[in-house]
Amino acid sequence: MDMFYVAVELRDDPGLRGLPIVVGGDGPRGVVAAASYEARKFGVFSAMSSSRARRLCPNAVFLPGRPAVYREVSAKVHKIFRSYTPLVEGIALDEAFLDVSGALRGYGSAVTIADEIRARVAQEIGITCSVGVAANKFVAKIASKAAKPRVIAGSIDPGEGVVVVEPGREVEFLHPLPVRALWGVGPATHARLDRIGVKTVGDLAMIGVEHLVTALGDASGRHLFDLAWGHDDRAVESEREAKSIGHEETFTEDVADIVELRRHLVRLCDAVATRVRANGTRARTLTLKIKFSNFRSITRSITVDTARSSGPGFTEALGPLLSAIDVHQGVRLLGVSAAQFEAADGPAGPVQGSLFDEPAEGRVDEATWANASGVMDEIRRKFGADAIRTLAALRDVEDLGEIGENPWGPSSPNGDTR
Amino acid sequence: MKFRSEREQLAEALGLASRIASGRVGALPALSGVRLQVKGDVLHLTSTDNDMTLQATLPVGGDRDGVSLISAKLLNDIVRSLPEGKITLEATAESLAVKSGRSQFTVPTYNALDFPNVTPSAGAPFSVPAGEFGEALRQVVRAASGDQMRIALTGVLLTGEEGSLRLVATDSYRLAVRDVTSIVIAASTKVLIPSRALSEVQRLLSGATEAAISLDDNSVTFDVGGTKLTTRILTNEYPNYKNLLSGTYPNAITTGRDALLDALRRARILAKDQGPVRLAMTGNGLKLTAGTKDNDEFEEDLDGVYSGTDITIAFNSDYLAAGIDAIPTDDVIIKTIDPARPAVITASGDTDSEYLYLLMPQRI
Repeated sequence: MDMFYVAVELRDDPGLRGLPIVVGGDGPRGVVAAASYEARKFGVFSAMSSSRARRLCPNAVFLPGRPAVYREVSAKVHKIFRSYTPLVEGIALDEAFLDVSGALRGYGSAVTIADEIRARVAQEIGITCSVGVAANKFVAKIASKAAKPRVIAGSIDPGEGVVVVEPGREVEFLHPLPVRALWGVGPATHARLDRIGVKTVGDLAMIGVEHLVTALGDASGRHLFDLAWGHDDRAVESEREAKSIGHEETFTEDVADIVELRRHLVRLCDAVATRVRANGTRARTLTLKIKFSNFRSITRSITVDTARSSGPGFTEALGPLLSAIDVHQGVRLLGVSAAQFEAADGPAGPVQGSLFDEPAEGRVDEATWANASGVMDEIRRKFGADAIRTLAALRDVEDLGEIGENPWGPSSPNGDTR
Repeated sequence: MKFRSEREQLAEALGLASRIASGRVGALPALSGVRLQVKGDVLHLTSTDNDMTLQATLPVGGDRDGVSLISAKLLNDIVRSLPEGKITLEATAESLAVKSGRSQFTVPTYNALDFPNVTPSAGAPFSVPAGEFGEALRQVVRAASGDQMRIALTGVLLTGEEGSLRLVATDSYRLAVRDVTSIVIAASTKVLIPSRALSEVQRLLSGATEAAISLDDNSVTFDVGGTKLTTRILTNEYPNYKNLLSGTYPNAITTGRDALLDALRRARILAKDQGPVRLAMTGNGLKLTAGTKDNDEFEEDLDGVYSGTDITIAFNSDYLAAGIDAIPTDDVIIKTIDPARPAVITASGDTDSEYLYLLMPQRI
């Protein structure tokens, strides 16, 4: 998707078209999640701090972002993807790999599929996307970047939309590119490569693997060398085979109140469980992540006997782990993730009976919750993610938060970033 | 503060203290410490995690009275690393020096004023035989829950039953009840004690002959030879376990405890992740199976004396093994009703058994 969050905002409010738009947290800790091409002309880009963006482009329209809407749009786009192939690997809300090798017979060529997907996303969703077509994930990713609109010398070039790199022509495509284009080349690696005279991917490919290993270490050197020659044999992994599903959230202010943290836990568990169910799975391992006010992060995991897919089931498992952590110094970020999946419709394991007729205190019965969870999913499908939520997430009406809100930092109460 | 001690006795006391001291992430540093206080020729060690407190005394060669607070884990690691023989500990304002032979550690200390005030239970102590009480704990503590969402079940109920001591624990899947008829206690006694503390008490009791228990409204203290372990009492409502004790069991098998435990150990190789083991009981004895028919399978025949109708019943292998292991006699009796209702495991020999382990089957 091209400037995804901004595109969704423009779709929903066409009056914003042509203006510099910045989507992201506008609080003191906010970061830019997306910037329109008009804002990029001023040097604003994603992951920059919002306060810096505001200095660079004081006239930009700052929008807090609507993660729930983006997720919904993303899900619709993924649905289009899955009508071509079940092998869809989402790497971000607005980015995915599709392995269409099984669909070629029906559609003729990958390029036909690419054109059709672009047309359908534009028509059915109302946003644009760019597609890279290649024989492996790495080259396809670079090609998709090359296909995107971009700012050149202060004006916006709409881009080609689809860039195809035919098998066997990867080297020709890659070698003129700057080394920064390669995955895994951050500022530090870039500086090291620059020192040994490597400017382009072609330079890197020609320098020889021994020199790279000396300069960058064994793993990194060999990896980049392979990429420079267009070698990448990783398969497209659909979400069903995903290793984990999670949400995390940065708070407006550090939270030291365990009761409030528990409310956030309930909400995050609900959100993650919803995605685990949407994935047609149950999870056996659940992980809690906490980042303290001093940025120190810890994670705590629990593996349960019987796989779970309900929010209360997740909360029950993670609640004690949260209670065992001393939070008095303040928590900056809370995250929940689920892993070790099994198919939701797979055979049920043995069920341990209970000695007491009534469920003992605080005991979550997954079987009972399976029905309730299904009803919640149905309500959300029809009326939106906000239509139903757990009581713990509803302490007061003003405080209604969206599921997994603020992934890039919350808004400041008065919209001031300075 | 300055004193001399033999490595052995200091290491033993510090081992205990470092298990009690808080290991909680982000907890107050003082709670991860052991407080050392020298008065004359006696060292007083204290550590606490605010729920549970250990107070121990040790005869030492005292050179200078005083107090020091230091990470219990760090000091324990240091003392354990040193060779056998005399160790000297000397505190200055902000550090502690630990010397042995030609080795010397100097490590920072915490402010001793940050250490919480700890007091043992105020109740009148009553004495119990250490061996019997320790054995009763061994049999019961295992059935307590580790689930922090079900706080009441993480406790062990210490109560008076017909004039003597009864210990009860359940995690709702199994229930262990032990009557210790030799320990007389008021029928009105009823306290719920965190099982974590009782596991530590069990360690303290090994090798001791006598222990004293004092109870007040908030806490209980176990005093074993001058080492005092105090824990807060849980106030949560305990489930009504008594109506589970009145079942009649038409089927019973008597079989050898050790042979069954050995077979279970083998079965658990295939009964992974708390999976089930199946017991088929007939007039021919006992057949133990585990695994899945289409995939892998374990099977072992055991001798047994059976009365009742043929039955096959499945249990969580860990829970079953824990119940068999708790039985002190050569033979165990497993009594059942049907594959869906609780089974009971008792010792054989005396019909008036003081211990029972009630276990809910798995439905497969």
